[in-house]
Amino acid sequence: MHKKFARSYNSLEDIFKFTELFFDSENVAASVRFPVHFVMEELFTNMVKYNPGNTHDILLDVDFNESRVTVTLTDYDVDEFDVTVQRNVNTELPLEERKVGGLGVHLIQKMVDTLQYRYKDRQSEITFSKELGLENV
Amino acid sequence: MFDIEFGNNGEIVCAGRLDAAQCEKAQSFMDTVAEARTVDFQGLEYISSAGLGVLLKTQKRLADTGAGLKIINVNKHIHDVFRYSGFHAIFEIETPEG
Repeated sequence: MHKKFARSYNSLEDIFKFTELFFDSENVAASVRFPVHFVMEELFTNMVKYNPGNTHDILLDVDFNESRVTVTLTDYDVDEFDVTVQRNVNTELPLEERKVGGLGVHLIQKMVDTLQYRYKDRQSEITFSKELGLENV
Repeated sequence: MFDIEFGNNGEIVCAGRLDAAQCEKAQSFMDTVAEARTVDFQGLEYISSAGLGVLLKTQKRLADTGAGLKIINVNKHIHDVFRYSGFHAIFEIETPEG
């Protein structure tokens, strides 16, 4: 199931509704929905934030099989930004040394089971998957 | 949908989904908070890293005056996000299980 969404934070509500319909039809457990929504939002908002002048919509594809949910986001006419590269994020810093922001990619990598990045001809394609838990068995 | 308001006992009550599109609303509210407060997440289903930014910015500002936020009724999914972010060390956090 796929759909294109306008490059705006205001698309988030429609994105969540789109995936919720899909999850409902497949009885996907809440324990899977939360991280999928979280990672989808992080990837989508990064695409919005770092390419504000781009007029292309962003393609979202959601797929489901008996063992996992797989999501692919495709963006067009963008610079390369590999989300699979490990970031040096220190989550043990005391409050006074913490900076707002910069946790997104770290959290993406923590919450998915697989994460792939492909970049060709200025087209960026990010695919992640989340294994279904026992609640879905 | 996301709602934020003061409860009957002065606590901050959050409900719905705190995503990037709702952060401006959350931050505007949090910017009015000038003393230690409890934040009740009983009705909060979801938070993104943008929402974490709102909490962190507020906590850092309040810490300058010796105050801070205590976050209660944090659901399991949000608690996982807090754990991955190291927020359990910089906020007082309570889950429904204690």
